[in-house]
Amino acid sequence: MLQLTNVGKAYGPPTQPVPVLKDVSFSISRGTFCALVGPSGSGKSTLLNIVGLLDKPDAGQVVLDGVAVDYGSAQQAARLRNAMLGFVFQSFQLLPRLSAWQNVALPLLYRGIPRDRRRAAAIAMLERVGLAERSHHRPTELSGGQRQRVALARALIGEPSLILADEPTGSLDSVTAIEVMELLRHLNRSLNVTILMVTHDRDLAAQCDRQIEFLDGRIVSDRLSLAAATPMSA
Amino acid sequence: MMTAAMPSGAPRRELFAEAFANLYGQGIRSILALLGITVGTASIIAMLNIGNMAQLEALKSFKSMGIDMLQIRAAQTGTGAAGFDRRLVDTLPADDPDVLTAVPLSIGRGQVTAGGVTADVATIAISPAFATLAELPLRTGRPIGEADDCGLVAMVGDGAATKLSAPGARLLPDAKIAIGDYGYTVIGILAPVPNESMNPTDYNDSVFVPFGCSRRIMQSGDPNMALIRLRPDVDSAAVGERVKARLANASSTLTVIDARGLVKAMKAQMGVYTRLLAAIGAVSLLVGGIGVMNVMLMSVMERRREIGLRAAIGATPRDLQLMFLVEAAALALVGGLAGVGLGVGASWFMARAMGWGFAVALYVLPLGTGVAGLVGMVFGIYPAITASRLDPIEALRAE
Repeated sequence: MLQLTNVGKAYGPPTQPVPVLKDVSFSISRGTFCALVGPSGSGKSTLLNIVGLLDKPDAGQVVLDGVAVDYGSAQQAARLRNAMLGFVFQSFQLLPRLSAWQNVALPLLYRGIPRDRRRAAAIAMLERVGLAERSHHRPTELSGGQRQRVALARALIGEPSLILADEPTGSLDSVTAIEVMELLRHLNRSLNVTILMVTHDRDLAAQCDRQIEFLDGRIVSDRLSLAAATPMSA
Repeated sequence: MMTAAMPSGAPRRELFAEAFANLYGQGIRSILALLGITVGTASIIAMLNIGNMAQLEALKSFKSMGIDMLQIRAAQTGTGAAGFDRRLVDTLPADDPDVLTAVPLSIGRGQVTAGGVTADVATIAISPAFATLAELPLRTGRPIGEADDCGLVAMVGDGAATKLSAPGARLLPDAKIAIGDYGYTVIGILAPVPNESMNPTDYNDSVFVPFGCSRRIMQSGDPNMALIRLRPDVDSAAVGERVKARLANASSTLTVIDARGLVKAMKAQMGVYTRLLAAIGAVSLLVGGIGVMNVMLMSVMERRREIGLRAAIGATPRDLQLMFLVEAAALALVGGLAGVGLGVGASWFMARAMGWGFAVALYVLPLGTGVAGLVGMVFGIYPAITASRLDPIEALRAE
């Protein structure tokens, strides 16, 4: 469902470009929980941003659900993000002014869905992540793990084909991190949603179906995990 | 997973609800930005409305006689008494097609005594036609009529009657008063009348006597003033010149007061003030608009993460622009509405202070809010564009 072909990206002035991604190609099938690992500066976050249509590749092609992505139009990119992608961030990125359900419902606002239906969908999604009774709380009234679960619900509400998670457990203590990881795994299996997760935690990566390791902008290893031997195919 | 239907933008109605929630969330900062717009709008509204009331007030002073009026005054130039030939006045309507009525008057000033009380008042010698022209309202008694032409009867204005009343005993018809060497009988007392622009003198402070034998108490038997009613919409200045030429004589300088001309001059003067004051209001509105821009730019900078997040979950650049534009417009609109209220309030106080009738020129209400809203939109464009051009990756990393 996701296919990258010869994707390259460099930063800095055109005269002295600093390459961040060099000729990266791989593809992921539907329902895969895939970890991107590597030290900082290895290019994994840049790759996530390119797949997330937040950044443009200098070279190569990205195919999402069989459609080559056109990076030229910000408008088109925004609509594709809304329809096909869900984001989970290390720092949760919840809007402090809004209650949990309002945060979860936000992606549906940009689909023009009326408030009542957004609310119903958000509360149903909060139920899925086990936070139904917290739907009217503000983010500041929630624990770190609860906040990330709200963020997960927000990522899932638009029924995306791909979830992009950037260090989703990076701000959590180890116990909560395990809980969130288990929830991610559960959602991945029950909804058959593809997940691309950036992490530098090898233990977490080992729990995924597949690990792609980056170093200096190149893929240095790509292997299926032993822990997740059961393939989930669509 | 279905991607068949491309998502459309956010529902418009909710944009407003959200804009107000955001502004409310910003508390004092929103109020300060609001204040700029409010003061600007209020000054424009107050100025336009006060100008409008002043104009209505000015027109009111021509109410009873209308604006198709001329007043001719004679001032003394030589040794003889100032004035002009009464017969020339009487024949004006017959000789000049633009003149409907011409009423001769004689105005003097002197000591009047009634029952031991003496007062200095204006004395006006009038023909019966004058009472009709000036619409003098009687409180008691009867007006000066045709039969009184040479009679020793007098009509007393409201203020003059008060001056001539002994304590506890108001001057009433049938009382005897002395003007100069002559004794007159009071036949009528006037109700108070407004002192209008075309009144030759304040009628309240006057004693009226018949014109016929006014030589008894005036300098001469000839009129020193005439009130002329014109046919509507004639060139009043030209008629004034013709009448002046006709009544001219060696012993007097004639002055023509043209009601239409007075109104025109008043309006012109008022127009200058109104425009000047509205310009001051516009400058304050401009300052208010810059305040809105400032607050919105601050808001964009502070909400970079929110902007980044919204972009990530699918807000298009246009959605983001609209969000901030609606916020700026909402800010300005609320400020504008408050400004309209404040401006109307200010003009009410002004009306009270000046003793004017309070009126609201209805056109200023949509004008005020409309202009305020427009200012918000115009000054909101730049911050809105700034927001939509933020790089979502950078924005998400902010702080």
